[in-house]
Amino acid sequence: MKYLAITLCLFISPLGFAQDDVFDLLEVTQNKKYAYATFKGTQLVNSATNETPGAGVLQYIIAHRFGSFGEDYLYNFLGLDNAQIRMQLDYGITDRLNIGIGRSSVLKVVDSFIKFRAIRQSSGPNPIPISITLLSSANYRGERYADGIDHLIADRLSYHHQVIFTRKWNSKLSTLFSPSLVHWNLVPSVGDPNSTYNATLGARYKLTKRMALTGEYSLISNKSYSDGSAFTVPFGVGVDVETGGHVFQFHLSNTRGMSTPYWLSRNSYSALNGGLFLGFNISRVFTLRD
Amino acid sequence: MKIFALLFISLLFSTCVSAQQFLTREGGLAFDAGSPLEDIIAETKSATAVYDAQSGKIGFQVLMTSFNFKRALMQEHFNENYVESEKYPKASFKGFYKDGFTKGELTMHGVTKSIRVPAVLTEVKNGIRFKSTFKVSLSDYNVSVPKAVSNKIDPYATITVNCMMKKRP
Repeated sequence: MKYLAITLCLFISPLGFAQDDVFDLLEVTQNKKYAYATFKGTQLVNSATNETPGAGVLQYIIAHRFGSFGEDYLYNFLGLDNAQIRMQLDYGITDRLNIGIGRSSVLKVVDSFIKFRAIRQSSGPNPIPISITLLSSANYRGERYADGIDHLIADRLSYHHQVIFTRKWNSKLSTLFSPSLVHWNLVPSVGDPNSTYNATLGARYKLTKRMALTGEYSLISNKSYSDGSAFTVPFGVGVDVETGGHVFQFHLSNTRGMSTPYWLSRNSYSALNGGLFLGFNISRVFTLRD
Repeated sequence: MKIFALLFISLLFSTCVSAQQFLTREGGLAFDAGSPLEDIIAETKSATAVYDAQSGKIGFQVLMTSFNFKRALMQEHFNENYVESEKYPKASFKGFYKDGFTKGELTMHGVTKSIRVPAVLTEVKNGIRFKSTFKVSLSDYNVSVPKAVSNKIDPYATITVNCMMKKRP
């Protein structure tokens, strides 16, 4: 009888006391988590990334493209004497919606753009492997035409629409693929296409916590026009350096224009002929609304 | 017969024990590493906290990316450059509560250290509220602060825990 009791006791006691370790309860099921900081800046070299300033954040970007290595570059202090400049001001209306204006000195182009992070890469339940961001811009050429013809305002306009696919593979590597359409209201002759199709490939690789290598390369559909003008595929390689509220992007590219239609679909410089340019983008953010 | 009585009592007692666990997955946790030059404040309302009244065991866990900052860029820097959330996704504490103190191991940014901090545990309806405020040294947990911003960041972050744990069924 006694033995039976003890055996029973042995049986039952673990049931009572061996409650699972209370710390096991700490393990949580991961909530939905959006990928952050896929890229450091809102642009890679020239091409837009999926990033936007946060809600209520005003971003100011100042960018330079210096003179080419082909033209007396020592005399021109590595091209620094022939700088082209772009200024851009953009604002995050929400964490996903961004609008901005810019002005580039190549052909005195003024532009405005709108960017929307339609789909964001996430992990956890129902993960999404990529981010899809939409970007559209309207660009107005301010420079006078030299052909002696009166040009309507519409002639000076061009448009750019882009879908930006990005993926942050891990904390170091992120890639970008952006097909886009550039529409020119004015082309040299009736036979030339008004719309050109482009695709940009880009990547960044982080070397340290605050520094990354970047690169981009674009394919374009129409390289020559009936008036004899020929255009090349744009590319650029660079370094991103981040210091608090600034992002410095230093790069080498074969482009000088900085508003999208011009550098993307009408870039006339070729690296093989010395058409290589040093340049930088510097961004500064200001929180206007918490 | 005596032994059966004992057994019966122990059975009663044991069910009573397992009912004394408290849990929340919506615990409040905040930290402040700011300075007169810059506000650096973040909070989360999704920390997990557990307490076992029988053993005194108490534990917390929080996902680093769940901390909300007012400024998106600051939040990005926090995750990317300071606590490296991709590499070290969570911070946890496992220890014991006794007589107004919690004592145990705090793990953060891949470093585990023993800490002992004052805490208040109060019984409320259907649960227990845990409150504690303490400081942790950033350098103790290998969180490096660049010289350029060292005057903006308090090397000792103040952590505030405020968790309302519900009795587990």
